[in-house]
Amino acid sequence: MNNSHFPIARKNGLVVQEVPDEVLVYDLETNKAHCLNQSAAMIWRSCDGKTSVSEIATLVEEQAGNKVTEDFVWLAIDQLSENNLLEKQLTPNFPGQSRREVIKKIGLATMVAIPVIASLVAPQSALAANSCRCNQNSDCGLPANAQCPSTTVCNSAGFCAP
Amino acid sequence: MSQNSVISDHAFDFKLVFESYGVRVKLEASSKELLEKASEAAESALLGRLEIIENVNAEHSFGFSLDDDGETLFLHENGERITSDTSVKRFFRFFDGLLRIKVAEFTRDRVFIHAGVVGWKGRAIVIPANSFRGKTSLVAELVRNGAEYYSDEYAVLDENGLVHSFPRFLAIRYFDGELREKLVNPSSLGGRVGRVEIPIGLVLLTEYEADAVWNPQTLTAGQGIIEMIPHTIPRRANTKFALNVLNTSVSDAIILKSPRGEASDFAVEILSYFDNYISLARTFRG
Repeated sequence: MNNSHFPIARKNGLVVQEVPDEVLVYDLETNKAHCLNQSAAMIWRSCDGKTSVSEIATLVEEQAGNKVTEDFVWLAIDQLSENNLLEKQLTPNFPGQSRREVIKKIGLATMVAIPVIASLVAPQSALAANSCRCNQNSDCGLPANAQCPSTTVCNSAGFCAP
Repeated sequence: MSQNSVISDHAFDFKLVFESYGVRVKLEASSKELLEKASEAAESALLGRLEIIENVNAEHSFGFSLDDDGETLFLHENGERITSDTSVKRFFRFFDGLLRIKVAEFTRDRVFIHAGVVGWKGRAIVIPANSFRGKTSLVAELVRNGAEYYSDEYAVLDENGLVHSFPRFLAIRYFDGELREKLVNPSSLGGRVGRVEIPIGLVLLTEYEADAVWNPQTLTAGQGIIEMIPHTIPRRANTKFALNVLNTSVSDAIILKSPRGEASDFAVEILSYFDNYISLARTFRG
């Protein structure tokens, strides 16, 4: 069996929250939050290591009630892989085409929403919410204060700021 | 004594433990006076929402000590020296924010989001944002325009997604040769403090930008939640609960994202927009 055609969804180190029409995934290893739209979520849930890409396409087609191609599934797999949401990284099968070209092609061929994963990295430390407070200059060099007005100066009012 | 050396536990002869939002914190100090100061600072930081408890252990501790000359204050967290200062005021101001974050991060039945919050017609307007992005200015303007003040720092959500007030005085920053902060009582802005927990009606993902035009994009619940996660304090300490509460809290809210211009103009515009939204929603619900 070629595993690249039987993708497996990653489970460890993830916290999953179902939201109406979407799925939220928080990656505890990378502090990345992901929002999978319905199509991406449907495909991710189908990645059980036993179902092939073409079978996933058929499953999605049945659930969505509209024509879905293998490229549609590969588009989701490409993003799932890029965001480390699969057990093994997979390379999409889009010879000579960019992701944008594939999206355009798929978008014209189906009525089903294109799979999309939106992601955002959260600061590891909650201290980033410490309102840029400091006692000494070195406090401002901490990663938690990276977004403060100054990362080198702790002013006399106790801010990492000029 | 070197800056980074760690004072052993026996240097702290004076101790107390308190509980706030279910989090137990030990304060320990090298003198009685220092412990009293630390205790006052804790009371103020947590708006008096703490209870001193006897004969118990705490998961978190803060230690306070002075150098031999009595000029430099040292702050220790869980036995490790983390910072020092010669200015008492600045030292305790730092501790003030640190303590709130500690409680916000480890409380089990609330979700603290770094955000400004006001109440408007029984609904909360929540403005999650990093520091120095105009959150407090916008909250102040909304209060001036009749909104109830809930917080300029934290939206405190319960398990049902309702917002509770955390009404410390507004920390308004200004430039006076260097950046400073003054604490402003919301009543001086003509505002009232919201006391009742309320559902979120509007989440504003916005930051001040000079000359910005408010051109909002409406986000889905999922898209909104991932934008809120970086401002959610217990996102790592209590991830599953936090995500669940975020999901519940925005289930009936509109989530808008766009940079904005001056707070004074924007406050009027957004309250008017929210009024229209509320009346439209009521019409559709019959």
